[in-house]
Parts: sequence; structure tokens; C-alpha cells
Amino acid sequence: MNDLRIDLDGDRRWYLPGDTVTGRAVWRLDADPEAVELRLFWHTRGKGTEDVEVVDQVRTEAAGAAGERAFALRLPLGPYSFSGTLITLSWALELVALPGGELERVELVVAPTPVEVRLTSLGRQPRSHSVSFGPKAGFDRSDR
Amino acid sequence: MRPADNPFASHRVDSLSYRFIGPDVGDLLDALARHGGRGAVVGRHGSGKTTLLDTLEQHLGGAVVRARLDTGTARRADHVLHRLPAALGPGHAVLLDGAEQLGWWGWRQVSRATATAGRLVIASHRPGRLPTLHQCRTSPTLLAELVRELDPATADAVDLDDLFRRHRGNLRLCFRELYDLHSRG
Repeated sequence: MNDLRIDLDGDRRWYLPGDTVTGRAVWRLDADPEAVELRLFWHTRGKGTEDVEVVDQVRTEAAGAAGERAFALRLPLGPYSFSGTLITLSWALELVALPGGELERVELVVAPTPVEVRLTSLGRQPRSHSVSFGPKAGFDRSDR
Repeated sequence: MRPADNPFASHRVDSLSYRFIGPDVGDLLDALARHGGRGAVVGRHGSGKTTLLDTLEQHLGGAVVRARLDTGTARRADHVLHRLPAALGPGHAVLLDGAEQLGWWGWRQVSRATATAGRLVIASHRPGRLPTLHQCRTSPTLLAELVRELDPATADAVDLDDLFRRHRGNLRLCFRELYDLHSRG
């Protein structure tokens, strides 16, 4: 049975932009993989086309059926993890055995606060003030 | 609701499999072979052509080259030609989405450049450029089946016949409206 695991130091899931993500990648596979790859990336999900960018990766060639490797990957300053109306942008680490494609994924929050940034709608613009003079203020249709 | 958790987010909609009515993917591959490895899947906007190409890609052996043309910047033949490997041979299959975007000259360029590929399947709104292998069709019943798979509660709560009618059978637009419905909470 294939077992892939990503152990993050301190079991952290929240990182500040620019932090370094450290931990160990562990694999126990039924057969020798060509390589084992750890990828740090962000991706979007929501209404439109999905977008993804791998910002760093560590490849271990001829990794052997069982093994582990320490890693330290530096996060960029952005983008932050966030959710708006149209998309959620999420960060993740993925450990992949190649060429089979078995994988393990760990979601991260990369933001100034421990939860993803929530972008809320600005809503309707406030109406401009209207100024009334004289007896029309409080005008009632029944007065006609 | 977070966009990533919306049952009608694009990654969930895109994960739906193509539903054949009648012939299946085996029949489609047989028809492709009968037509010398050249053919088209035809259907209107939002009728499942791209989903069908996804299904086909999983069943085609060898190397598959995908290209997509749309109404934006990616409608020229160059967009396809740049994606083709230098040595396109019998082991290659080319799947071209949005073939109706090409003009006469663009289609001629693509057709010549892919002549050495073992298989060429295009998705188009209109029949004519290659033999039609499959016609993609939608129905209110199909919409209801897909919505139920994505979110049974929505299938029970929304008038899907009306939704289907308003979007003239374009399932992608139906899913987008359902996305908006959920995002408003």
C-alpha cells in the first residue's frame, strides 16, 4: 500500500508571507518511483477558470520505495490566501510519486492572520443626499 | 460560502463525466477509426463538447496534444501551430476545441500541419470540416441529473426546467447561475 506523508514542523498550517515552510516528506511505496517531488504552490477555485502557480519544488531522483527528506521552502510575499465572491486562492504543499501520480496534499494558510483573508462586496453605493425645502418634507400622497 | 466550497464551482462542474445517450466512447473510437482517424464532435455552446474531448483523451493511446481556440485572443491558427510538436507522427492524437473560430485559411494551415498525426478530433459548433462522429445534445433531464450529482438539495429546490429554457440548453450558463445563487447564500 502506498503511503505519502508531509510532516510540517510544529504541525503548522499558518504562515506569514515570506516565511519558510519546513518539515519532512515521507514515502513508503509498493514499487520504486522514478522520482518523488514536493511542490509548493497556490491555486484558485471558484466560478471561472482555475489558475495555479508552482512557486518552488524539490525533486528527489531515484528516491527508492521508502525514504524521507527534510525540506525548507521559502514563501513569497504574495499572494495571500483569500476568498472573495468569484474565487478562493489557496496555498498547498503536494508530495507526488512519479510517474504514477500518487499524491498527498496539505493545505496552508498564507496570510497576516491565521485565517484566509475574506474579501466582501462593497455593496450598493450610498445614495447622494437630497435636500428638501418647505412643506414638501413629509409629503403624503393622500394630501393631493 | 467560499467559492472553493460552492457546489457549482468550475472544478466541480469540470469533474462531471460526459453522459452518452445511445452510443458510448467505444462507438466513438470505432467511428474515428472508420474515418481514417479524422472526425468532429459537434454541438452548441455548453453542450459538453469539451467534456467529451476530456473523456476521449483518457481513452486515446499515445501522445495527446490539446489546443483550444476561443473568441478572445486565442482564435488564430498560430495558437494551435505553436502547440504541435516538431515531429508529429502516427502515434500522436490532436484534440482541437473551438475549431469554428478558424477561418478558411487558418483551418487549411491547421489541417496541413496535423496531416501526419495519427488522429485529429475537432470540437465545433457547426458540422462540415470533418466527418461528424458525435452530436452533443442537452435536455432538461440531463441538467437535472448533473445538478443532482453536484448538489441534490439544489435539484429539489430550483425550477431546472425554467433554468434550462432561459439559457436555451447551455448547461455551462445554467451552472454559472446556480453558482451565483449559492454565492449569495
